[in-house]
Amino acid sequence: MADSTILAFFISLLAGTVRLATPILLPALGQIYTQRAGILNLGTEGTMLMGAVCGFTVASVTGSLWLGMAAGIMAGVAYSLIMAWLSVTMRANQVVAGIGMNILSTGLAVYIYRLVFGIRTLPPSVVPFPTVEIPVLSKIPVLGTILFSHNIIVYLTYVLVLPFSWFVLEKTTFGLKIKAVGENPRAADSKGINVGLVRYLSVLIGGAYAGAGGAFMTIAYMNTFTEKIIGGFGFIAVSVVIFARFKPINAMFGALLFGMAQALQLRLQAQGVGIPSQFLLMMPYIMTIIALVIASKKAEFPSAYTIPYSRMER
Amino acid sequence: MENYVVEMRHITKVFNGVAAIDNVDFALRKCSIHGLLGENGAGKTTLMNVLFGLYKAEEGEIRINGEKVAITSPVDAMSHGIGMVHQHFMLCRPLSVVENVMLGKKSRRGILLDTEETAKELKALSDKYHMGVDPYSRIWQLSIGEQQRVEILTQLYMGCDILILDEPTAVLTPQETAEFFVTLRKMKEDGKSIILITHKLEEIISIVDEVTVLRDGSLIGSRLVDAGLSKADLSNMMVGRQVLFDFPAPEKAPGKVKFSISHLVAKNDKGVEAIHDVSLEIREGEVLGLAGVDGNGQKELCEVLTGLRPLVSGSFSLKGEDISGKAPSFYIGKKISHIPEDRLTTGLAVNWSLEKNLIFKRLADPSLKKHGLISRQLVRKNWEKARNDYQIKSINGEELSRSLSGGNQQKVILARELGGNPEVLIANQPTRGLDVGASEYVRQRILDARNNGASVLLVSADLEEILQISDRVAVIYDGRIMGVLPRGANPMDIGVLMMGGKLDKEETK
Amino acid sequence: MTDRTKVSTSQLLSTFAMVLVALLLGAVLIIFSGNSPAEAYGAMLRGAFGSKNKISELFVKLIPIMLMAFGVSIAFRAQLWNIGATGQFVMGAIATTIVALHVAGPIPVRMVLSFLAAVVAGALWAGIAGWLRNKFNANEVITTLMLSHIARYFLMYVVTGPSGFLHDPHSDLTQSDAIPEGMHLARLLGPSYRLHSGLFVLVLAIVFMFFFWKTTTGHRIDLIGQGEKVSIYAGVDVRRTVMTTMLISGAFAGLAGWLEIVAIQYRLQSTFTDYGNIATIIALLGALSPAGILASACFFSVLLCGGSSMQRMTNVPYSVVDVMQGLIIILVIAKATLANRIKGFWEKRPKKEAANG
Repeated sequence: MADSTILAFFISLLAGTVRLATPILLPALGQIYTQRAGILNLGTEGTMLMGAVCGFTVASVTGSLWLGMAAGIMAGVAYSLIMAWLSVTMRANQVVAGIGMNILSTGLAVYIYRLVFGIRTLPPSVVPFPTVEIPVLSKIPVLGTILFSHNIIVYLTYVLVLPFSWFVLEKTTFGLKIKAVGENPRAADSKGINVGLVRYLSVLIGGAYAGAGGAFMTIAYMNTFTEKIIGGFGFIAVSVVIFARFKPINAMFGALLFGMAQALQLRLQAQGVGIPSQFLLMMPYIMTIIALVIASKKAEFPSAYTIPYSRMER
Repeated sequence: MENYVVEMRHITKVFNGVAAIDNVDFALRKCSIHGLLGENGAGKTTLMNVLFGLYKAEEGEIRINGEKVAITSPVDAMSHGIGMVHQHFMLCRPLSVVENVMLGKKSRRGILLDTEETAKELKALSDKYHMGVDPYSRIWQLSIGEQQRVEILTQLYMGCDILILDEPTAVLTPQETAEFFVTLRKMKEDGKSIILITHKLEEIISIVDEVTVLRDGSLIGSRLVDAGLSKADLSNMMVGRQVLFDFPAPEKAPGKVKFSISHLVAKNDKGVEAIHDVSLEIREGEVLGLAGVDGNGQKELCEVLTGLRPLVSGSFSLKGEDISGKAPSFYIGKKISHIPEDRLTTGLAVNWSLEKNLIFKRLADPSLKKHGLISRQLVRKNWEKARNDYQIKSINGEELSRSLSGGNQQKVILARELGGNPEVLIANQPTRGLDVGASEYVRQRILDARNNGASVLLVSADLEEILQISDRVAVIYDGRIMGVLPRGANPMDIGVLMMGGKLDKEETK
Repeated sequence: MTDRTKVSTSQLLSTFAMVLVALLLGAVLIIFSGNSPAEAYGAMLRGAFGSKNKISELFVKLIPIMLMAFGVSIAFRAQLWNIGATGQFVMGAIATTIVALHVAGPIPVRMVLSFLAAVVAGALWAGIAGWLRNKFNANEVITTLMLSHIARYFLMYVVTGPSGFLHDPHSDLTQSDAIPEGMHLARLLGPSYRLHSGLFVLVLAIVFMFFFWKTTTGHRIDLIGQGEKVSIYAGVDVRRTVMTTMLISGAFAGLAGWLEIVAIQYRLQSTFTDYGNIATIIALLGALSPAGILASACFFSVLLCGGSSMQRMTNVPYSVVDVMQGLIIILVIAKATLANRIKGFWEKRPKKEAANG
């Protein structure tokens, strides 16, 4: 390969990294709220799928991508309400509840899709969010393409959602309350904090982010919906949170790492390198395992992680 | 009547159909310290949780400063100037002191945290009461005593006039307790009214102005504390009979050394060295009491001796045979029994049946099997014998162990640990959370094991218990043995050692 | 989750009630899709029991889902949430095919070898997750699922030409060559019915499961599900038991993979029916007890077979069946608490002790 091709390859790889990290970063940021509050929502994958199908459906029926995005977020909130109910009100085992959520979402998403679109020979599609070249900045060589030539949702995620999440979690009273209910719900309760409410909100916020991530897949990255569109991103997001030690900025780096794996895999496939494509496709999953292995041993989980709270029990 | 800050009338609180407190009256005078006395399970904490808004009473009314109020949550309680320091501290360990304080109050900066202002004010308040609390230190870095001060400081900061303290001295040494009482008196002078929940008669006599006694959820009576009130009167009110303050002296003198520990070193869960160079010897038929404030390495020591925790260096031996550094199953085989500190996560599989809890240390035992499979009949037989021997009250052996009372749960553990006539018994806080009757039973059983020749290491934060049944008393502080004292040693001397101090005269051995 | 050897009547009733609720909600979904529930459920029943062939198909379906449900139930009892049975199944199928196509020797030897290879492959694939948990405290929910994805791509790789070493060179399809006819398991009702002698394997598995929870190993597995602290205290080697649990759990899925090749497909294909989720649901609906799993596997066999006929015969999409499965599992999860609440509502005066203090 000539030097210029190599450079082009890396520019495209890094640009792809930024783009593909978005649908991991969004749900991961949401899961930081949820997990800090002491709830492990393994149903994130399913929540994303609901966001993906609802976002796609609304965007395609109304023709408005923004309405689609809003629908994806709302679907995420609505669907994660089940998780909140199971884990907070019903005090169910969170791992099992998450597994159940994922199983239900597969059926529900396909049902909704089929109900709206029926059986078609050509799958319906939308025109996804277009690339917005930032004036001037996108003309900077190399960096311009990597950082300033994405669709609007990518920009919003890094410039707005990420700092906003950090701010809420670290600097506000609500962020402190989330930490408290994850660490010592009884103490939080005795200080007058409504543990159930804070936990519900944390799960629902997580759901909103996951819904947005799901909708990103169908209307900002791809342009169509398939049953397997999430492909483990929800689980990757959950692992990224553990890997990031529940910190938003770290989560960004984690997401970028996975975004890069994904982007690299796609580009190597396209280049037709000697490695069979199936092995490239395995990469993100292998990386998830590696990330978990690195992070889990040392991670300091919130003390009340996955433990339901009841005032009456000791 | 007008000088009462709190009046509670005809309070009844029901759990699962059983009245935990039944028609109880309670009144607190302004600027006084009021003792709330009773055994474990008498309803003291429940009554106070009602006052603090954690539980909602089925019946009764509460008046604060003469005005009838409805307290439905801790927030309500705090708005009436009521604060509570729980037995288990209500602190988030990874957060700083100031963060913990901010959890309970409205921020001056709206949704943003007002960390700096709050920290400054806390510092000032801490200085006023000579508490020496740094607002920015993390809770997990603080000692138990310091954490308690943080709790009290928090309540003062929140502007409490009425302070409920739930067994505050349970975690303190005699000396720390004395200091703590000084702080209490200062708060009283400052116009605070204090409720002191306790089951220690000594405390009532020494600091309290007025006492209310509860038994089995009912009010026994209230009276002012004056010179005419004796410990015996109080104990009569508390348990309805004289408590056995002393167990009979042993009939048999301890034999030769059976279990010996030398230069043991081990780490705690955070990877920090928690036991430094501990050496102890226990004879055949001897109870060695290990006194110390909670969290000074007792748990780690017990766990190392039973294989639950790796040892860093040092060794221990049974009848001269080095048995250090083996797996738990090895010690089970050597008949080293262990009554763990935590019944519910370690001592019992709470969602298993009672009969299976009795055998879970010998799942591979052929005497429980028929045709290679664990036989229900044999397991049941084993249960029935244990139930009779240890008077376990339950519906049947298939009942889940979680559904039993603490005392009966402990009996199940005793039945399992003492059933096979152990060589060594490691008993860590064996009576914690039990009522007086059950505690007495457990101590008697430990003495029985001793009389059968077992070497017993009795770990307890309850000094009275240690003094009652130990043949010798070792004191642990910060993972070191500060000294070993004979039976009948002066409790104040033990207190000095528990604080990490030294005795002037050497009276070990 | 308690002493599950006995299933009480009230538990049984509440399970039935939940299934009923799921069927009713399914009816609502069928109405939404513009169909008559009576017609749809009728089609489902006919599709499941309508002919001798259909009944034979019920058993064909029952064998793998029950085997895999047994497998995951063993892990679940230990609170090891092995949700990657699919991956273990795939690895078992691949191992079977490798032995069938690439190992020389008389048919009976190859038969036994392929069986062993499948079981070992399934066991090891689950064992990786066990090892990762022991060694690095890596959450097994995520690792088993990731391993499942990896196994799928590995399967694609081995059957995709030209590089895949199992790819059938005479075909453009992503599949392997057919295994030798001698290795096909006998069909029990003649060649036109697919019911195969793997049924006897299932019967053996059922017998095994009924005795398993009475063994020392079974008790140890159950105990580690009660908590790590109490297990260590009881002298159980937790890491070793985690490993044993995962190996046995994966072995069952591997066994199902073996049957898929030697009794159903007779060759390895890149597409296959994914029983991972259904196994999870069956295990949980059956309250992780062998008898419960037996019953709920039968129910799901009817639901699955009937469901696909329903899709063919009416306009109702198959996803309704998937949604019903999802609803059932959500209800099962909520059941424990719901049951308590309803009970507490009816009996106002239970005998339990009050909170202390």
